[in-house]
Amino acid sequence: MPEVLIADDSEFMRNLLREILEEDHQIIDEVENGVEAVEAYKENNPDLVMMDIVMPIRDGIEATDEIKSTDPSANVIMCTSVGQEEKMKEAVKAGADGYITKPFQKPSVMEAIEDVVPS
Amino acid sequence: MKVDIQSLGTFNQLAHEGAQQATASMAQMTGIDAAVDVTKITLVDRDDIGEHLDDRNFVGVQFDFEGELSGQTALVMDQSCSETLTDALLPGDSAADMAESGVKEIGNIMMSGFIDGWADYLETTIDHSPPTYIEGIGRDVIPDSKTVEGDDDSADQLFVFKSQIEWLEESVDFYIYMLPDYDSLTDLMMTHADTAGDAIPIDKLQVFNRMTERGTEKAADNVSMMTGIETEAEVSQISFARIEDVPKQIGNAQYVGTVVEFTGLPSGFLLVLFDEQSAKNVAEALMPTDVDSDELTDQHTAAIEELGNIMTSGFVDGWANVLETSVDHTPPRLVHDMGQAILDPLAAQVGQHQEHAFIIDSRMQTDDIEFEAEIHALPNEQELREALDELMVERAEETEADPDELFQ
Repeated sequence: MPEVLIADDSEFMRNLLREILEEDHQIIDEVENGVEAVEAYKENNPDLVMMDIVMPIRDGIEATDEIKSTDPSANVIMCTSVGQEEKMKEAVKAGADGYITKPFQKPSVMEAIEDVVPS
Repeated sequence: MKVDIQSLGTFNQLAHEGAQQATASMAQMTGIDAAVDVTKITLVDRDDIGEHLDDRNFVGVQFDFEGELSGQTALVMDQSCSETLTDALLPGDSAADMAESGVKEIGNIMMSGFIDGWADYLETTIDHSPPTYIEGIGRDVIPDSKTVEGDDDSADQLFVFKSQIEWLEESVDFYIYMLPDYDSLTDLMMTHADTAGDAIPIDKLQVFNRMTERGTEKAADNVSMMTGIETEAEVSQISFARIEDVPKQIGNAQYVGTVVEFTGLPSGFLLVLFDEQSAKNVAEALMPTDVDSDELTDQHTAAIEELGNIMTSGFVDGWANVLETSVDHTPPRLVHDMGQAILDPLAAQVGQHQEHAFIIDSRMQTDDIEFEAEIHALPNEQELREALDELMVERAEETEADPDELFQ
């Protein structure tokens, strides 16, 4: 099963994502900010990162930028409530591979993952 | 057509002083101790004026006025307090019979004081009609007013001056509404506008109001999608008030919700607030399992935080997309307190740089369960002005961005 790292400061959203993903994926870690996300990525080298944007200490776009600069093959899907075009462009520039806006439902999450990490 | 901040501040001050004069007249006649609580100028849809009056029975007086400023004005109060008022004016058994004429007379004297201040400031005369006694349920008591002429969807917005007067010994409020004819007010605003300084084009303010409505609809859609509860945007309006009046608008009811600070153009604060029962209901609709508790648990608050986060984004994303910029915001901070206590420190922070504030207020609700949510935005005044300056009216509908176009 593909290994997934979830980075979101909301416990509620981490639980929701875990419920959606755990049937077909292995959740290898859950973290609450961008700094922890970079550390957890380096430590675990997961197949996919589900990355929130608005997080304390370090936001998801900066964290994505650092992960992608050290491992260009990393797969990162932004999973965020932010629906701003300029923010999406920043995410593209940082190297994000996909973008899902909250609130989401399971089919849209699975579709985005399939686009980035085909089964 | 433009209005500058200084003129809005002056007009707001005029309305406030007029309301104080009216309140003093009432106190002198009746011995009732009352104070002006809030005065604000609101740009609002015609249909939304007086929405907070709910379905209560109101009585009052209404006048037409004309001169350099023309329009309608009304003083309204709960029907239950009209007899108390007239009893204070005419003690004895006749008070009930005299309620209508008593209200008319008190209204006449109060509202003359209100209008006179405007005439003095404008160094002109403003004539007004004899008072007409009015009674009705909720917003039906508010007089009609001419709105902006035009054929676009901004045509039914108008500026309303509203003062709330609190009767200090009773939990009863009076309201003074002044609804100037749109053309009359905008002519006056143009005359007073410092167009080389901090003037805001009125059409852009109206477009911004429409963008805010779309943001409220998006936030309501997000609630529906997350909870399965069909939620509708109810009211959306932009007001201008003295900083010290901002916290009073929300009042002292208990709220649960989130506060974020947003940065960009404009910066400021955004609050998503639920009354306690609504917070509990909507949080439980989000939870995968039933929670057996009458109190708000950690699970409830985690759900509220995330809901606040998503509603905030739904609300501000439209501004960012229309303005072709990004508006960042901090992670949501949970708040659980009296409304005024939540807003006080935010208004104090914004008030370090400005004397007046624009306040953006929206409300949504559902019929399915007891649920009502409010969104309040308190942007930096100068930055909002800059944002409006950059606003391209023709992009007003471009509130949504499609990630699929960028991530192909």
